[in-house]
Amino acid sequence: MNLKLRLASLRISPWSLWLGLLGLVLLAALVAGILVFWQGLWITNLSDLVPWGLWITIDLSSIALSAGAFSLCAAVYLIGLKRYQPIARTATFVGLIGYTMAMLSLLLDIGRPDRFWHALVYWNNHSLLWEVTMCVVLYLAVLVLESLPIFANLDWLKQRFPALARKMGGVHHYAPYLAIAGLALSMLHQSSLGGVYGVIKARPIWYKPEMTVLFMFSAIVGGISLTLFASMLASRLTRRAKVNDALLERLSHAVAWALVGYLYFRFWDALAQHYTYDPGRTEGFELFTSGPLSFNFWVLEMTLGALVPMILLLTPHTRRHPFWRMIALGLVVVGVIAYRWDTNLSGLLVVMPYLPGRQVMSYVSYAPSLIEVLAGLGVIAYGLLAFSLGVRYLRVVDHRFALEELETVNFKSVERVAI
Amino acid sequence: MSKRIGRRDFLKLAAVGATAVTATRLIRPAVASENAVSGTRQWAMVIDQSKCIGCGYCTLACQAHNDANPDIQWNRVTTAGEVAGKTVFLPRPCMQCAKAPCVDVCPVQASYYREDGIVMMDYDRCIGCRYCEAACPFQARSFNWKAFDGPNPAVPKWGQPEVARRPRGVVEKCTFCYQRIDRGLALGMQPGVDADATPACCVACPTGARVFGDASDPNSQVSTLLKDNATYRLREDLGTDPRVYYIAADPRKMEGST
Repeated sequence: MNLKLRLASLRISPWSLWLGLLGLVLLAALVAGILVFWQGLWITNLSDLVPWGLWITIDLSSIALSAGAFSLCAAVYLIGLKRYQPIARTATFVGLIGYTMAMLSLLLDIGRPDRFWHALVYWNNHSLLWEVTMCVVLYLAVLVLESLPIFANLDWLKQRFPALARKMGGVHHYAPYLAIAGLALSMLHQSSLGGVYGVIKARPIWYKPEMTVLFMFSAIVGGISLTLFASMLASRLTRRAKVNDALLERLSHAVAWALVGYLYFRFWDALAQHYTYDPGRTEGFELFTSGPLSFNFWVLEMTLGALVPMILLLTPHTRRHPFWRMIALGLVVVGVIAYRWDTNLSGLLVVMPYLPGRQVMSYVSYAPSLIEVLAGLGVIAYGLLAFSLGVRYLRVVDHRFALEELETVNFKSVERVAI
Repeated sequence: MSKRIGRRDFLKLAAVGATAVTATRLIRPAVASENAVSGTRQWAMVIDQSKCIGCGYCTLACQAHNDANPDIQWNRVTTAGEVAGKTVFLPRPCMQCAKAPCVDVCPVQASYYREDGIVMMDYDRCIGCRYCEAACPFQARSFNWKAFDGPNPAVPKWGQPEVARRPRGVVEKCTFCYQRIDRGLALGMQPGVDADATPACCVACPTGARVFGDASDPNSQVSTLLKDNATYRLREDLGTDPRVYYIAADPRKMEGST
C-alpha cells in the first residue's frame, strides 16, 4: 500500500521501471565483467575438461535466434514473398542485436579479448571456427547496412540531419543484394557453428555430419519464432508496436511445418545415436536420455520446445488465438536454447579416456558460477534494452509503417530482382 | 675440331661438376645445423612402461624447465592398470601428432607444425578460445586460467626455467623441450644423446624409461627401440599419427619382480 502510494507520487511509469530493472542487471553484469577482465577466467566454473559453458551457449543461442534476419530477408527480397517485409524488418533488427550479443559474450569467453581481431589477420582456413568468425564479422557488416534504414527513422536524426537520414533510408534500395550476401554468409556460418562441434573426432557424440544441418534448421525455426514472439509481446505491451496479426499467424503456420521437418531430422539423429555401443557417443547420448541433461532434453527440448508448439501451431484454433500462439513461439525459442546447451555439454561432460585397453568412462559436471550468470544476464539485458529502445524510438515493430516504407522506397528493386 | 669437346675437356668438366655437387652436399648440412631446426630430423619419444615406476620426476622437471604454473602439467603420469600384481603407469606428454586436431581447429594458426614434427604454440597469437582443448583427444592442452606470478615451486630443485612464462589467457602444451633441442643442435650436440639437448623429462627419468631421438636416423636409440620392440601409440584409431610410442609393460622386466 505504502509502496503503491509512493510509486504513484513519483509517477513511475512501467517503461522507466523496466529501464531501471535492466539498468540494475547491466550494472551487476558490469561488475562481473570487470572482475572477469581483471582477475581472469579462473573465477568462472570453466575448466580444462569443460572449457565451454554458459557463455558459449549464450553466444550460440543469440546467433541461432538471429537467423530470422537472413531467412526472412531472403524470403522477402529473393523469393519475393513481399507481404512479410514488415516482419523481415523486425527480424533484421533482432539479428543486429543478436550478433552484437554474441560478440559481447565471446569477448567475455576468450582468454585474450585484446586479440579478438587475430582471426581476421591470421587465417587458418582449415578451422571452422575461423570460418565462423569471418562470416559473423562480415554478416554483422551486412546487418548494419540492412539496419541503416531502420535507424534513419529516429526522429532526432530526421530533424537534425535530414540529408543523412535520407541517405541511410536509401540503403534500402540495395536490400536484395544485401539479402544475397546475408543468405550466403548465414547459411555458411549457421551450419558451420554445428560443424565446429561436428568435426571433433575426439568427442564421438559431436562427431557427425548432421550437426551442421540440425544447427541450421533449428536456427531458422528458432530465429523466426523469436522475431514473431517479440513482435507479439511488444504489440501487447505498448501502443508503439503495431502488428498485422493475420501476417504473424500465416508465418507461424510455416514455423509449425518447419518444426515438423526439424523434429523429423532430430528423431533420426537421436535414433542413430541409440544403436550399437560406441565409447563416448553412447555415454554422451545417455546424458540426454537419463543423465544430468535429461530434463533439458525430454522436457525443454523435445516436449516443450518442439512437440507442444508444433501441435499448438498446427491446430488452427490455438494458432489463431494470440495467447496460445505466443506461448508456442516462446517455447520454440526455449527449445533452441536448450538444444545448444545440451549439445555443448554432451560432448564435454564425458571425459574420453586415452589409456589403452578397456575404456573406463569418467564424467565431470558443470554449473555456471555466479559471475558467469551475472555477466550472461547482462548480455541478455543488453539485448532486451536494445530491442525495447528500438520498439519505442525506431518503430521496429510497426507493420503499417513498414508497409508504407515498402511501397515508397524499394518496390522497384524488388521487382528488378524478381525478373 | 677445336669446337668439339676433347677427352681432356670432358674430364675437366666432369671434375668441376663433381666438385660442385659434392660442395652443395657439404654445404647443405652445414646450413641446416646453423639454423638448428632441421627438416630432415623427425623427433620421437619411446616410453617403456616396464621401466616407469610412476615417480613423477618427469612432470616436476618439465614444470621447472618450462616454468609452468603448478596447476598445469604438460606431462601427466597416470595409473594405467595392473599386470601380474604390479602397477603399470603411463606418462603422457603431448603426442606431437603428425595430423594434429589442435592444429586443424585453431582459428588463428597459433598451433602449427615445425619441420621436425613438433607441434608448436605461438603464445603471442593465441586468443584463448580453447577450441584446441575440446579437440585434443589426449587432454594434452592446458589453459592459463590464472596468472602465474609467484615463484615456481619446482625451481631450483628440478631445474632452471629455459622459456618465457606464458601469460594469462592462452593455451599451452608440451613442446618436446624445443628450446633444449634447438640450443643443443646449435652447439653441435645431439638430442637424445647429450643430456643438455634432450627433453627435460627424459633426462630426469631415474629409470631411463623415456627415450628421445631422431626417428629418421636408423641408428638412433629411438629407432633401435622401435625396431626391436612391439610398440603402440595412444588412440591410434583416431588416425592422428602420434610421435610418442609406448612399449607395453612386461611383468618379467618390471622392478620388484622377485
